[in-house]
Amino acid sequence: MTPPTSFKLKTLVPAVKAELFTDASECEITGCYISDLLSDVLAHAKPGVLWATVQTHRNVISVACTKDIPAVLFVCGRKPEAEVIKEAEEAGVILLGTPLTAFAAAGRLWESGLHE
Amino acid sequence: MQSAASVKPVERAGDARKVSVAQILVYELRVRDAMSHPPITALPTDTLRSIQQLMKRHKISGVPVRADGNVLGMVSLEDIITALDEGHIDDPADKWMVHKVISLRDHYSLVRAVAEFERHGFGRFPVVDSADRLVGLITRGDITNCLMHHLERRAEEAVAHEAALVAARTVDEKAQRYVFRAAVKSGDFDHAGKISQRMRSVMRARGIDPDVRRRAAIVAYEAETNIIIHTFGGELSVVIDPDKVVIDATDLGPGIENTEQAMQEGWSTAGRLARQLGFGAGMGLPNMKKCSDVFEVKSEVGGTTHIHSEIFLKKATGPL
Ligand SMILES: Nc1ncnc2c1ncn2[C@@H]1O[C@H](COP(=O)(O)OP(=O)(O)O)[C@@H](O)[C@H]1O
Ligand SMILES: [Mg+2]
Repeated sequence: MTPPTSFKLKTLVPAVKAELFTDASECEITGCYISDLLSDVLAHAKPGVLWATVQTHRNVISVACTKDIPAVLFVCGRKPEAEVIKEAEEAGVILLGTPLTAFAAAGRLWESGLHE
Repeated sequence: MQSAASVKPVERAGDARKVSVAQILVYELRVRDAMSHPPITALPTDTLRSIQQLMKRHKISGVPVRADGNVLGMVSLEDIITALDEGHIDDPADKWMVHKVISLRDHYSLVRAVAEFERHGFGRFPVVDSADRLVGLITRGDITNCLMHHLERRAEEAVAHEAALVAARTVDEKAQRYVFRAAVKSGDFDHAGKISQRMRSVMRARGIDPDVRRRAAIVAYEAETNIIIHTFGGELSVVIDPDKVVIDATDLGPGIENTEQAMQEGWSTAGRLARQLGFGAGMGLPNMKKCSDVFEVKSEVGGTTHIHSEIFLKKATGPL
């Protein structure tokens, strides 16, 4: 089995018309997981993925850290509050947002080669 | 017996944190905790002179006169002075004692007792039990002493508790044990995850295997959020030993009605706010179980819940 391919998050940004809330220059991801239920992410998301969700409150950062999820994509044009952005920066979690729905964003990411 | 209708009911403090220990004590402590007992008493046939000697011997300023365990009257220092003045110091007590005595019940709170002192201006009250039997005597000084004593005790307890924690910490450091305990507040969604965050950084610093680290962090996070969402508050304790991580979550209730049902994936009684925030997937307990090597839920309906989890640290089998 080959290790999962890593993608530079930055290269995927245009595909989902993403807005960056934190610096994303160094981040790499191995796949994507979509869920709005925190326990579901804790149970099923693989470490290293990009997490797409409509949830924008600070518990998202805690869950991302718990699961070693490096980046969170807020879908449907959701924007985090300044407090949350600050906390993400402190925790080293990257935040970005897309106007697309989770489904559309996933389709574009898949087309860009992200298949995990 | 007079009622004390003028006593204000306990004010429901909007902000419980502003109530001082002393304030709690005056509500918690009862007259029976502060009174002197057994009371020094006299018989109706005792002379005022013998009562005066009794007062002198025991350094007291009032003596209840009793018969068959009930209060008949009261002789105070003023009565004695009057008797000396007017020359009836050798008369029996029942001739000159105050007959209509107001007593306090032993179960009254101290705050009520204080109010009774204010109201009647007496220096002391006989204390009777629910069957009107004389059980003690109480003065303002007794109340002050009792409060001081309990305040001191609380302070000592707090100091001892701190010392024990520090001691545990020192011993633990020698044994390479990391102990962390923190209170978790009910409904405090904004601080969820703070404890597991702290635990993660310790585990990371120790180079604990990432999979073990994640599993332990998930257990702590789920346990912490359950206390926040489903309970009146509680405490999370994390112990990181060289061979395992032990997590204990205890709360103040209300307990789990049916633990089997609660353990089922998807079962949740979480409210709307919690669900809006992405909690309440009904996967917390099953997640905790899956992530643990040892997992126990102890809960009583109407009682408390205790979650115990152990995650074994993988032994390094060789160079990675
Ligand atoms: N500490 C607790 N005290 C009381 N009830 C609890 C506690 N933990 C869990 N429960 C009950 O068990 C259910 C399932 O818990 P869990 O699996 O964590 O899912 P969720 O938290 O998403 O509801 C909860 O909805 C609640 O009814
Ligand atoms: Mg839960």
